[in-house]
Amino acid sequence: MDKVIALTKRPAFRIGVGLVLLVLLAGAGGGLYLTQTPPPQPIQFPHNLHVGIGAQCQYCHPGVAWGPTAGLPSISKCWGCHQQVQKKSPELEKLAAYVSRNEAVPWVPVAIQPDFVHFNHRPHVAAGVACESCHGDISKMTVAEPQPRQNMGWCLDCHKTMAPENFTRLSDCSICHY
Amino acid sequence: MAEVTEEKMKWGMAIDLDVCTGCNACVTACAMENNIPFTGEDESGYGRGLHWIRIQRYWHGDYPEIKPDYSPMLCQQCGNAPCEPVCPVFAAVHSEEEQINLQVYNRCIGTRYCANNCPYLSRVFNWFDYEIPEPMAYYLNPSVTVRRRGVMEKCTFCVQRIHAGQEQAKAEGRPVQDGDIVPACAQACPTDAIIFGDLSDPQSRVSQMARSQRSFRQLEELGTEPRVIYLKGGGQYGG
Repeated sequence: MDKVIALTKRPAFRIGVGLVLLVLLAGAGGGLYLTQTPPPQPIQFPHNLHVGIGAQCQYCHPGVAWGPTAGLPSISKCWGCHQQVQKKSPELEKLAAYVSRNEAVPWVPVAIQPDFVHFNHRPHVAAGVACESCHGDISKMTVAEPQPRQNMGWCLDCHKTMAPENFTRLSDCSICHY
Repeated sequence: MAEVTEEKMKWGMAIDLDVCTGCNACVTACAMENNIPFTGEDESGYGRGLHWIRIQRYWHGDYPEIKPDYSPMLCQQCGNAPCEPVCPVFAAVHSEEEQINLQVYNRCIGTRYCANNCPYLSRVFNWFDYEIPEPMAYYLNPSVTVRRRGVMEKCTFCVQRIHAGQEQAKAEGRPVQDGDIVPACAQACPTDAIIFGDLSDPQSRVSQMARSQRSFRQLEELGTEPRVIYLKGGGQYGG
């Protein structure tokens, strides 16, 4: 017993334990930070510019109207407008390169859910939920940024404000988890 | 959502044992639909096989005149389910909305109380993370969670298909009709022995089968109020 107490009082032991704790803390902090930063995209797509000139979200993400996923636009959708627009920016040159190679742009999805959560855009859009209420103010972003603290409590906070006769359905586990 | 609030459906299934040939197509279809891994011969020997539906085979008669009798067994989606009250973390819960038993995978901590309390032995446990080699990952159904090790799982009445059917009906602005929603096992059944539908609608095919004189429920005396109705007359396949 004396030996154990002596060990815990040794400076080397204490520094070692402190270092291990620091590394763990830094790892956890770094991991959390990484989930909250926008992932690198193949093209620095300026959402703010497109929203600024009046493009509707559903023009490029039409999947929200009929299905679970919003979808990412194909090169033909981009090129439909951009072949008529002067290519002044290096990002547009990248797009032109993808089009000339006839290759899909490998967009990285930003707003993602864990595997055990099944989210469906259609009912939310049909009920008139604005895109900004979950995805943030896109008109101030270039590439899409992940929104912090989108957990189950956040979902239920909004579902709770709906009509009470619908709350049984909107709080049912099976609605998202299956 | 301020949309059409339709009457709650009471999902049920009818299985006609007189036309079931025991071909196991439902077992295969279920595995493909619900991302159920294949555990292999050794694991199955230890009783760790993963099946949400299985074909129970019984032999009838005395030696030269023996006949097989097949009975598909799956989660009976009990109205009064023995698995639910024993779960310490409320992972086995009753869905008020769909009137089925749910297994919430992200809540489950793997105590296996539910499986031990299930009289139908229809719950299976993921003892390991079963590897899916790379090209095989493409067969996985994106609408169903890939369960990890330490999680209990069971038949969900293909709740993803129920939701898809309801969504489809809503998008078309009509109520869900009988036959809109077909689980994988019923879809695959070559003899149409498995019928799925709404038990609260007296005109649905499954309700009509439930009223048949041949109908019975498994272990009815336990008072579990199963939602799966079996039909069995005097005759049997091949006899």
